Amino acid sequence: MEILSLLGQGFTVALSPLNIGLLLMGCFIGTLLGALPGLGPVNGVAVLIPLTFAFGFDPTSSMILLCAVYFGCMYGGRISSILLNIPGDEPAIMTTLDGYPMAVQGQATNALAISGVASFVGATIAVIGLSLFAPVLARAAIHFGPADYFALYILAFATIGGIAGVDPRKTLLSALIGLMLATVGIDPISGVPRYTFDSFHLFDGVEPIVALVGLFAISEILMLLEKEFKDRPKAIPVGSWLPQWGAIWKTRWAMLRGSGVGFVAGVLPGAGASLGSFMAYVAEKQTSNKKGTFGKGDPRGVAAPEAGNNAASGGALIPMLSLGVPGSGTTAVLLAMLISLNVQPGPLLFERQPDLVWGLVASLYMANIALLILNLPMIGIFTRLMMTPTWALMPIVAAVTFVGVYSISNSIFDLEMMVFFGVLGYVLRKMDVSLVPLVLGLLLGGDMERNLRRAMSISDGDWSILIASPISISLYILTVFFLALSVWIAVRDHRQAKSERLTEG
Amino acid sequence: MSIRILGVAIFVIAALYTWQAGTYAITFGDVLGPTVFPVIVGIPTMILSASLVVFPAGQVDWPAPQRIWRQLAALAVLVGYTMTLEPLGFPLATFALVALIGIILGGAPWRAVLLGAVMAPALWALFDQVLGLPLDFLGELFVAD
Repeated sequence: MEILSLLGQGFTVALSPLNIGLLLMGCFIGTLLGALPGLGPVNGVAVLIPLTFAFGFDPTSSMILLCAVYFGCMYGGRISSILLNIPGDEPAIMTTLDGYPMAVQGQATNALAISGVASFVGATIAVIGLSLFAPVLARAAIHFGPADYFALYILAFATIGGIAGVDPRKTLLSALIGLMLATVGIDPISGVPRYTFDSFHLFDGVEPIVALVGLFAISEILMLLEKEFKDRPKAIPVGSWLPQWGAIWKTRWAMLRGSGVGFVAGVLPGAGASLGSFMAYVAEKQTSNKKGTFGKGDPRGVAAPEAGNNAASGGALIPMLSLGVPGSGTTAVLLAMLISLNVQPGPLLFERQPDLVWGLVASLYMANIALLILNLPMIGIFTRLMMTPTWALMPIVAAVTFVGVYSISNSIFDLEMMVFFGVLGYVLRKMDVSLVPLVLGLLLGGDMERNLRRAMSISDGDWSILIASPISISLYILTVFFLALSVWIAVRDHRQAKSERLTEG
Repeated sequence: MSIRILGVAIFVIAALYTWQAGTYAITFGDVLGPTVFPVIVGIPTMILSASLVVFPAGQVDWPAPQRIWRQLAALAVLVGYTMTLEPLGFPLATFALVALIGIILGGAPWRAVLLGAVMAPALWALFDQVLGLPLDFLGELFVAD
């Protein structure tokens, strides 16, 4: 029952007027960002971080605002999936498969309501999981020494790219580039300036916030300019928001199954909400697609992926808060903000700053209720705002991005860095190199080096300390296992692609 | 081909990086010093990037030349903003930013200009007046010391 009393304490933090206000604002902005095609959780949260920074909110309030935006994006993404057949953000891709057909068949109201309730169920289950499991994991991690942390970071880099798809070499390279960037600046231990090119702007190192706003937000503008500008299709009109409750009730098992699958996918390293919704949809299709209705507007095909992506996004907060190792892009961005506010996530966070952890968890319960209200009775606001054309939306986003970064330190150099990282991010994305490992490397690099040097000081230069504890040995074994798995998958895909090409030719 | 060029670029940077790391002096009492970690990072980077040069993976579809021009134009506007923000002040520079990016993104010019004319002062009022982030209304060009 310890958790309940901690949670009660959390609610007293979350119920302060400022935090409630930020929570509601975050839910609204998040749902809107999610609903607008082109802006997803990573970009949205990245753009808002410098602003929360500039306003000087304390870490708890900043986290409440940004996590509300994060959760809101997950709710909002489905709106344009269902009404426009364009996913509002990446995790909402699976929702187009059955959501849009349902809307075409005149079931738009039901599809929106089912996905809204599914989001609520998924996110709430994830927050319950977060309250139960995160403290347990944090308690286990308290036995970690410097060498174990070094091993944990190695594991994080090996797995962040996920086990699905791209060449693992590119993922590792991305992480290594991040680590290289992390060493720029005055070395805190010896006081030697490294890789600063004698520019005093670089003495403090590369500001992670500036880098990631450029990598995610500015590169998104460049990506957008590649595409054909077509007139957006007309949205399917929604008559009333009142759905048939029976239709929602019928999908209850799909919601629960989707939440379970999504939650597990979210907790695992390297998987994010996109993988969560994908796996939830595939699992649901395997269990329920008896009559071949999936893909033609089956309500269960709407419920499962929506529950899945919301559960995964909540689940992804667990490793971020309890180990300090994020499992997805958006949680990496949230980690960047915490580190910049001088809060080091990890097991000690639960001991030292219970107000932050439990205040956040409590406010996430409240966010789910607020989001359910925003996404059912008030859905009309978002279906209208969603139609803002890209040519009007993106310039404003660019302006807000500049204001945010400029307001951190009133430095033009920061703005130039941001544009530079935007170009870098664009080039890497074109080459199929994921940006998340880079951000993670930049964020964790300093800490990783410090732990390595601390461990080596303890052992007085004996490298065997790195594999002296059972924790670090098992972490290295896991690392090797994950790397072997991803190489195997990459080689298999490569062969498959080759044989397909041969049969085509 | 693009992947190979990327591999070469990363390899050269990593090699310079590793070489530079060797020049940092080790101080007394700091076992590893500032050198070892960059070397640990630099060497695998060189190996992996070299392997991308020898065995490249994946195809890159670069946009058509006309789109690349559009991207370069947008980039020029973004860089231009970093140069004009302080001389011109926030509202004027932001007006140009919003209007030009809007036009590049395919908005009708008069609409984009209108959007810039409305949004620039509105954003200034929102951030400077309401939210209290100091932004110059008039830039250094207009304000004599």
